Amino acid sequence: MSSAVLLRSTIEARFPAAFAVRASRELICIPTGITAMDGLTGGIPLHCLTEICGSQVASSGKTSVLLALLAQVTQQGKFCALVDAQDSFDPGTAAAAGVSLPHLLWVRCGKTRQKLRPLEQAFKVADMLLQSSGFGVIAVDLSGMAEKLVRKIPLSTWFRFSRVVEQQPAALVFLEQEPHATSCAGLVLRVMSEPATLSGKLLTKFHLRVEVMRTRERKPVQSANFAAKAQWA
Amino acid sequence: MGVIMFACLYVPDFPVQAAVLAEPEQSWESLRNSPMVVLDGPANLPRVAALNDPARKLGIEPGMTKLQVETCGGVLLRKRSIEEENSAHARLLECANDFSPKVEPESPGTVLLDLAGTGKLFGSIENTAKKIHARAEERGFRLRVAVASNPETALYAARGFSGITMIPRGQEARRLGPLAVDLLPITPEMLETLESWGIRSFQALAALPEIPLTERLGQAGLHLQRLARGQIHRTLAPAEAPPNFRESYEFDDPVETLESLAFVLNRLLQQLCAQLVAHALATNELRLRLDLEVRRQDEGEGEQYQHEWKLPVPTQDRRVLLTLLRLDLERSTFAAPIKKVSIEAVSVKPRMAQGHLFAPPSPEAERLEITLARIRGVVGNADEQGISCVGSPRIVDSYMPDAFTVEAFSSVSVCESAGANFSAEMPVIALRIFRPALETTVELTGEAPHFVRLWKKYRRVLAASGPWCSSGNWWNAAAWAREEWDVALKTATGMGFYRIYRDRLREQWFMEGVFD
Repeated sequence: MSSAVLLRSTIEARFPAAFAVRASRELICIPTGITAMDGLTGGIPLHCLTEICGSQVASSGKTSVLLALLAQVTQQGKFCALVDAQDSFDPGTAAAAGVSLPHLLWVRCGKTRQKLRPLEQAFKVADMLLQSSGFGVIAVDLSGMAEKLVRKIPLSTWFRFSRVVEQQPAALVFLEQEPHATSCAGLVLRVMSEPATLSGKLLTKFHLRVEVMRTRERKPVQSANFAAKAQWA
Repeated sequence: MGVIMFACLYVPDFPVQAAVLAEPEQSWESLRNSPMVVLDGPANLPRVAALNDPARKLGIEPGMTKLQVETCGGVLLRKRSIEEENSAHARLLECANDFSPKVEPESPGTVLLDLAGTGKLFGSIENTAKKIHARAEERGFRLRVAVASNPETALYAARGFSGITMIPRGQEARRLGPLAVDLLPITPEMLETLESWGIRSFQALAALPEIPLTERLGQAGLHLQRLARGQIHRTLAPAEAPPNFRESYEFDDPVETLESLAFVLNRLLQQLCAQLVAHALATNELRLRLDLEVRRQDEGEGEQYQHEWKLPVPTQDRRVLLTLLRLDLERSTFAAPIKKVSIEAVSVKPRMAQGHLFAPPSPEAERLEITLARIRGVVGNADEQGISCVGSPRIVDSYMPDAFTVEAFSSVSVCESAGANFSAEMPVIALRIFRPALETTVELTGEAPHFVRLWKKYRRVLAASGPWCSSGNWWNAAAWAREEWDVALKTATGMGFYRIYRDRLREQWFMEGVFD
């Protein structure tokens, strides 16, 4: 028996699933309600890690996309969780966007003196929520965190998240300034704003563009345009 | 019509048995076989209040001092605890309630029950007595059971004879005859009188002529004679079901570690849940009280830690309750060791709901509650304003911007399907809030902002809409007044739309959030 075969059998004896071939799941997506975006990607995939990226300083529209997704899911009576690393979620605009607030679990990180920093808290909480099944969407908002901190998160963490969410009937969505999960992400979207529409001096509409940076199907970069309206428009 | 019979459950050396039952179940047998005494009285001179048979064999008697007991060597000493005795008595009542709806708590460790009409459920009276005895032993009691045609005869038979005693109707006087008269509720003077007559047993007392006995001892003497003959008939005064479920434990030595506390909590919860199950009830509210060792100088009572847990669904699951308690206590620090722990469960009817077949999946209620407790352990309970860090957001009915609260999240109570009027024609622009609002500097041209300092840089305002003035709470100290502007700022990566406002009371500019 060759040493490779011997090694393989030894590993398999300890970890039976080490060399198991996994059948790829059928791709199921949750529509976001934004027609142009759903036409591009089919929505946000279940059993996958999704990254929605956009600038923090400029108004990119990434949070509006997340609210649209949460509204779609909570309106169906499903429960969602939002892990807010910077405590920047606004319940008022969320309700105006159609999010059913009783169906939303909001975890505000960094509001009390704890051993862990807000970013670490957010990841730990996301891990706990993933273990406790039953949420349709688990969103982690890291877009307010300093980019240099998020960049330090080891790839193994992203890999673990992607493996855990594979077993859950949920979508794990990260809101960030830049993508970090690399190949662990099933879908990476970049949202950016075009010049906004002003009614006189009043902001009434955003023109947004979404680019699909990465999908499981390895398609070339595609983009779509859509608009978001102001709460008062 | 069935035969009217009464049973009496009598736990000998009840304070000792109560102390044993307060210990972990694994140690019950060894404790019963060891000499044990229960001490009561002032702290500087405690005396023996109760003892078990192994202790009697060593020559220990009630009333001996602690020092005298300690000279015997190898005797387990326990301080008398009324809570432990109440808890044990409640368990005995539950045991009796399993067999009859008419149960009278005669005294601590003694229970009378009416067996009329139970024949169809439990078989013959003899079988019922055996079943009662077996059930009580399962619950940790070593007790005596007596069955007779009236409660008083059953009571004295249980106190006087060990094991199971059956007294058929008409044989009461003969069966009670050998018992000593001091078992009766008799005054010392009367006992001395009877002693001087040579009357020492029920049989001798029963044989006395009634009229001369009444002439010498009065109606009390006649009553004692009728008790000795087994001729007193009365109806039971049934006990009502306990209104609440409470367990407590007082440590001999105050504990400092969570492990020691959790060990006791586990046992108390086990007893509570067993009681709830026995009553076909569950709990959705748990109250914990910890008495700390430290005493305040200005108050007579020691410091206490109290906490309440409200669960979204009723549960009887000990592990869920214990995990919730542990997770909360892990985050708490106490100024002093814990000397006593009390838990009370508010009883409610168990949840009897079947999940909707076509309803979307939701987090399992008990598991979710534990997850939320764990999350609170990571992010904390509430912020400086007292708003919870974990829960479901609610908008407060107020004109004040960013007025919200966070309520307990539950996957059970949400039954309404949200907004039927919702249409997703076009997403709504979200506002990301800076909490707290960022202090900033604004340069004005006329009334309108011209430059705004953002992330340490001054940025040109491309467009500004405002001012939108609002104010509130002017009648109290929480008064606020502001002047809002929505501004478009030029940034390196594009255009940023921000909401800024001027605090008109403090004359200071703040950045409230960014439209994203």
